[in-house]
Amino acid sequence: MAIEKIMRLDDAMAHVTPGTRLMMGEFVGAGEPARCIEWLLQNRVGGLTLITVTPGVRGGFLMGRLFEQGQISELIATHVATSSESSDAYLRGQLKMKQFFPMGTWAEKVRAGAMGLGGVLVPVGVGILDQPGIFPDLEEPKPTLELHGKTYFVEEALRAEVSIIKGWRADPLGNVEFRMTGTQNQRDLAMAGDYTIAEVNEIVPVGTISPERVGCPGPFVNAVVQGYSLEEQHAMYRDLWIKLGRLAPAQPA
Amino acid sequence: MNAREIIARRCAQELREGEVVNLGFGIPTLTANYLPASLSVIFHSENGCFGFGPKPSTLEADSDVTNASCEPITLLPGAVIMDLATSLGAMRSGYVATSVLGGLEVDQEGNLANWASQRDGRWWPGIGGAMDLCYGVPRIIAALQHTDKAGNSKVRKRTTLPLTGRNCVKVIVTDKAVFDVTPSGLLLRETFPGLTIDNIRAITDADFSVASNFGPMQL
Repeated sequence: MAIEKIMRLDDAMAHVTPGTRLMMGEFVGAGEPARCIEWLLQNRVGGLTLITVTPGVRGGFLMGRLFEQGQISELIATHVATSSESSDAYLRGQLKMKQFFPMGTWAEKVRAGAMGLGGVLVPVGVGILDQPGIFPDLEEPKPTLELHGKTYFVEEALRAEVSIIKGWRADPLGNVEFRMTGTQNQRDLAMAGDYTIAEVNEIVPVGTISPERVGCPGPFVNAVVQGYSLEEQHAMYRDLWIKLGRLAPAQPA
Repeated sequence: MNAREIIARRCAQELREGEVVNLGFGIPTLTANYLPASLSVIFHSENGCFGFGPKPSTLEADSDVTNASCEPITLLPGAVIMDLATSLGAMRSGYVATSVLGGLEVDQEGNLANWASQRDGRWWPGIGGAMDLCYGVPRIIAALQHTDKAGNSKVRKRTTLPLTGRNCVKVIVTDKAVFDVTPSGLLLRETFPGLTIDNIRAITDADFSVASNFGPMQL
């Protein structure tokens, strides 16, 4: 039987249950898997641990609203205040964030999880992020290791029960092609998830995506779900940018 | 000219032909608006791009072409897209030559604090890519207002907040002065036109000496 990974949104998202450890692709709101987030907003799963580079963007946009609904109990990220909803939840004490990671450290922890490693040695922040009192919620001090006279943090790999990535196009084998800065580290996130959902703008027949343009190989993906079309996605972000004052309202032609 | 514009205009003069530059959030981002026409630099964005250009028009804005603040950008001829781990690796490994970063505090040893202040007993708001830049970029330019709203100097003998980077700042640009950070301390290179050295001493917590080529900012 041919491999067929195209699934209904409900069937794919049924893997996310209360308490799931969930990874998601995005960068300050860019490249969010919009349909999957809307499904979470509707189904109010809750109790989620979210692993993402930042908690979305301001303006009541997609991921930010998960924090407003209180669905995220813990955030593993580089920043807590790229969306006002996540910032408010944290300052109210309703969102746990045991520590903040430098972005490169976070990316390498995910990559280690993706690549079957136990962790990585990171020199960034040594002597700063291990100072007493910086992260009072950590059960143990951040572990370090000396190598040739230099000190590194031993940063454990990050993995998730479910990863949701956002691509441009995918085929029924689960091969995903990304567009421009939407590339992010979505491939690493896919590999670091036990069950991976790829939301895409367009589903195309096998063979459409040139092999060297496959940004995330199909074997790393369990489900492909149809997202908004690229045109709908552009419109959604243009509306956001106009709302946030980052673009002028479009003049009627 | 307001303080933010003074700082951004003056920072633009610090950039060097052909180098790879990363501009942090806030005032640093404005620096791109004041580049001398003859200067070409390669702008890096930590979400995964070398060589981005100005903001597009509304109808040309592409939701998959954004900078690290999720603002629409354009890609210039020769631009490159890379994945996040590569982009941050380039920062740690020194492939980005200069970064202009905002600051809550900077001190006379070149320490920079810009990621955390206390809010209701918690550190807030977060690090993003700033710590990777401070670690790996050879030339960090701290771009900040000289004093806070209460008039306290942000150019200090010793920072009090959690650091972003240690001994990493090479140049400090404020709305009042430009300092070089040298192994023997701060060197006052320029003041805003009309301000004296004594004026700067009166609003600066840090110790500094005066450079032999001291003069007014050319804005």
